[in-house]
Amino acid sequence: MTIVDLTSMAKPEEKQQDRVNVIVKALNEDVPGDCYQCGKCTSGCEAFILLELEPHKVMALSKSGFIDELLNSKVLWTCVTCMKCKERCPQNLAPVDVIFALKNVAVASGKQIHTGYSNMLQAVLGTGYIQKPKEVVGRENDTATRDGLGLPPLPQPKDMQKLQQALMKAATETLR
Amino acid sequence: MVRIGVFICHCGTNIGGVVDVDDVVQFASGLEDVVFATGYRYMCSDPGGRLINDSIKEHELDRIVVAACSPRMHEPTFQAVLVDADLNPYCLEMANIREHCSWVHKNDVDEATRKSKDLVAMAVAKARTLEPLESYHKNVVHEALVIGGGIAGIQAALDLAESGRKVYLVEREPSIGGRMAQLDKTFPTLDCSSCILTPKMMDVSRNPNIELYTYSEVVDVEGSVGDFKVKIKRKPTYVDWDKCNGCGECALACRLKDRIPDEFNEKLGKRSAIYVPFQQAVPLKYTIDPNACLMLRLGKCGDSPPCKDVCTLDAIDYGQKESIVDVNVGTIIVATGYDMLDAAEMYEYGYSRSPDIITNLEFERLICSSGPTGGKMHRLSDGGEVKSVSFILCVGSRDKDLKDYCCRIGCMGALKHAYLLREHEGDGLEINICYTDIRSFGKGYEEFYGRIRDIETNFIRGRPSEIKVQDDGRLVYDVFDTTTQKLLQVTSDVVVLVPALVPRNGAEDLGRMVKISRGADGFFLESHPKLKPVDTSTDGIFIAGCCQGPKDIPDVVAQASGAASRANTILSKDVLASVSTVSVVNEDLCSGCGICAPVCDYGAIEIVEVADSDGKKIAEVDVALCKGCGVCASACPSGAMEQKGFKCEQLSAMIRAVSSRDS
Amino acid sequence: MTRIGLYLGCLIPTEQYAYEMAIREVLPDFGMELVDVEGVACCGAPLRHINLSLTMYLSARNIALFEKDDLDMLAPCPYCHQAVSETKHVLDGNPELRKNVNAHLKEEGLTYRGTLRHYHLLDLLHDIVGVDRIKEKAKVSLEGLNIAAHYGCHLIRPNDIPRPDDSENPQKMETLLEAIGAKSDYYNEKLDCCGAHILLNESESALTKTGQKLQAVQKHGFSGLATMCPWGHRMFDSKQDSAAQTVGGSLDVPVIYYIQLLGLAMGKDPASLGMNLNRSPVDRLMAPREGV
Repeated sequence: MTIVDLTSMAKPEEKQQDRVNVIVKALNEDVPGDCYQCGKCTSGCEAFILLELEPHKVMALSKSGFIDELLNSKVLWTCVTCMKCKERCPQNLAPVDVIFALKNVAVASGKQIHTGYSNMLQAVLGTGYIQKPKEVVGRENDTATRDGLGLPPLPQPKDMQKLQQALMKAATETLR
Repeated sequence: MVRIGVFICHCGTNIGGVVDVDDVVQFASGLEDVVFATGYRYMCSDPGGRLINDSIKEHELDRIVVAACSPRMHEPTFQAVLVDADLNPYCLEMANIREHCSWVHKNDVDEATRKSKDLVAMAVAKARTLEPLESYHKNVVHEALVIGGGIAGIQAALDLAESGRKVYLVEREPSIGGRMAQLDKTFPTLDCSSCILTPKMMDVSRNPNIELYTYSEVVDVEGSVGDFKVKIKRKPTYVDWDKCNGCGECALACRLKDRIPDEFNEKLGKRSAIYVPFQQAVPLKYTIDPNACLMLRLGKCGDSPPCKDVCTLDAIDYGQKESIVDVNVGTIIVATGYDMLDAAEMYEYGYSRSPDIITNLEFERLICSSGPTGGKMHRLSDGGEVKSVSFILCVGSRDKDLKDYCCRIGCMGALKHAYLLREHEGDGLEINICYTDIRSFGKGYEEFYGRIRDIETNFIRGRPSEIKVQDDGRLVYDVFDTTTQKLLQVTSDVVVLVPALVPRNGAEDLGRMVKISRGADGFFLESHPKLKPVDTSTDGIFIAGCCQGPKDIPDVVAQASGAASRANTILSKDVLASVSTVSVVNEDLCSGCGICAPVCDYGAIEIVEVADSDGKKIAEVDVALCKGCGVCASACPSGAMEQKGFKCEQLSAMIRAVSSRDS
Repeated sequence: MTRIGLYLGCLIPTEQYAYEMAIREVLPDFGMELVDVEGVACCGAPLRHINLSLTMYLSARNIALFEKDDLDMLAPCPYCHQAVSETKHVLDGNPELRKNVNAHLKEEGLTYRGTLRHYHLLDLLHDIVGVDRIKEKAKVSLEGLNIAAHYGCHLIRPNDIPRPDDSENPQKMETLLEAIGAKSDYYNEKLDCCGAHILLNESESALTKTGQKLQAVQKHGFSGLATMCPWGHRMFDSKQDSAAQTVGGSLDVPVIYYIQLLGLAMGKDPASLGMNLNRSPVDRLMAPREGV
């Protein structure tokens, strides 16, 4: 391609685009090509007003191949996953899923993510759940625990090691 | 002993780019009875035709195989070549190595070549069995039927009538005029729609060649090109139109005056139970709505029905019944027009949640000076003042969930509405148009768009995600304008949705009745998108106007005249060559079981008693009516019914030829 | 009794105990025997940002466990329910991917077959149990209560896979509220998002969304807000005070799981429904009960 963005001197990155599109296609969604920039997604985006996420712009940049700009942008992580964009797109495209694909590619390329997310991953690998049962406080400031409330014990995976191994394999091999 | 010539077309790269044509030519040369085989780039062209002609003479060929595109494309072309060379046109057999081979097997050239050889072998086997067939003729009825009395039907009927043909014009509503009668002004000239339409409607009523049936529907169509037998149902109007003079006293006196939502004003206005759709109706005769009229529904209307009391011509007739009129025509033009997509299907735009969210057709009625509000804009919810109007384009158009095609007239219609609003309401009114693309493609359209940009119209390039109704009834929506890259919040008193266009309701059933196909978008399908825009898959039946696809008035009128011209190519003849590949009965095998007669769509088969027999019955085919479809032959249990050119032994030869080939 | 497998996900059994308590208390009265399936783990939805394959694997795994025991699945958390729906949609439409996932599942002795039928409480109560049976059991009147329905984004979208209700005009919650005698007005903010998904990395914006929706509910004059999602409930109920601080207003909206409200209408002891665990002023919803 001979196209150059004169502001940043960036060029469209076809390889990166392919990595994103593989994930989008695996979700049975269409790649951004069909987008005609009507803007309906951004008009209804629940994250736009507070956080400036413009789903139509993500689609346009993905379509043109300026992926690095997106991977480095913080707006990817502002999506609230309300899915109104996917619901209302007249071309049946899914900006929310393109954003998820971009996040996955960002993580795989080693970009820093919020510790909260890595903590959840560690917890799932360790116990199968994103957190351990907590002690909660009620309206009258009374405390309660799962056992204290007489609820049955949490079902656990039988073999955590096997689960960890399977997860690690799935993470690297399933979506190519 | 036949002498077969095989001609294989490259069709540019369509076939030649996939199939090894030279290899197939060589293969064909080796087949029994094939005296000559060759290939050429475009067999359907003039030089191609001459090649065939010269080869026929040089090699004394008497059976021709052309391996090329589909016979639906060029069988008549090649048949004409044979006739030129003094051969019977039915000594031609085509092998479809394009649609059935090269076009679908692009990725496997070896298989495509092998398959082409199979198809050529089969065609050669058939060619060996071909016999010259005689042509039959049928008389053409020089009258025409036009279904639909909108501008398309009106134009087609006038063109045919002025060329001397008798035309039956059938319209479902009580008056002709269609959608154009509902318009206030037309873009881009801002002509008053009624002013340009009503003279044509008058011409229809005055033209002695046009027999007008309004409040009528076509209920049955039989026969084929040149000779259609049609039944028209005249619905009861409960008014004797021979007596009625359109004075209108009945409607003024009606007990339900101003109570019935009227269809002409898209249910925004009211009429009486006895009505004309609009004041310029043609014919200007009154009709009683049987779903509203108290007399017809309940058997009584007060002490005495006022319409009957005031009618000095004694035209009211509650006992009137529907009647059927039989007509016989040579061609039919279908011009049934369009409906709007129900805007409630896009729930997020709130059409069903506020009376102030309306469609562009409803807006047209409001802005029209002869409409339900006399052309004044006010909020339908509470009669309040309108300070801001928003137009939302592409509601359901260019949408893979609803209609994926463009409606063609939405952009221009909205621009026109902006102009009319500015003209009626002055400079104080805020006008917003939310668009994705402005499609102003026609003559004078771009200039008109420029004019609208000049009158302080807010063009917002974006599409709202949803429209909400505030507590005070005003409508509010957020829309991202991709030009300024700002999320704008807009509060309007009226929102006009521009919905997709769809075929008129009932078009599907009518299409089945006349046996024309529809495309994936639901509109009637033309024979060829570029070169045959008004013909259909059924000979003698043409389409015109929006029933073929959304379009604006100049295109509708042009297409209607086109359809009339096409219809005249049939009506100007006295006889038509009818099909030669007719069915024929083997009287020795036929038991007169009668299975074939009812399966014939054209009524060409009769079961008759054989003279001087003991009541033996056999089937008899009327070759003038037979269209050569072959259904009777496949239905026949004994094999007595066969179709010329497609007899059992002919088809068996083809099957043997391909099954005996090595793979 | 019909056996149905209960899949609670992560948030409900580790924090949103009231939801679980109310489910276990109410559903058996409608002839359902809730079965806890051994070996389940997180549905993987919270890990979707990191790697979709993790979500797909974990959900396929849960599906496989339920299929093994030949049980239908009740997933009261819409995040889990959507993860299951989407995993099914993707694996059923992509044989390559399905083969790949099954190859990994095999290591754990499991197979994804794609035969699972799964429900959320919304469609289970509305479509399977049915409004008539609910009306029958609602002996305590909730007349006078006007409860705002909060469906939540993950419950009704996206509509290209089967969801428990319509995405643009869902009505099942209103129908269920009316079945127990409450009113449920339409309000413009009905389909607005609670903000839960970005609580971790953009807490101020998340709580703003929560606060704004609660303000609208409050302004409209509703008696309370009914929820069907533990993430939404957590925002509206557990974090109502933080939300109020974030939007700079005062918020005083009773927030209750629908199933808790149903239990109250059936005359159940509020403690058994975990009512003391709701942090918002739900006592107001119970007040009419006294004296009936």
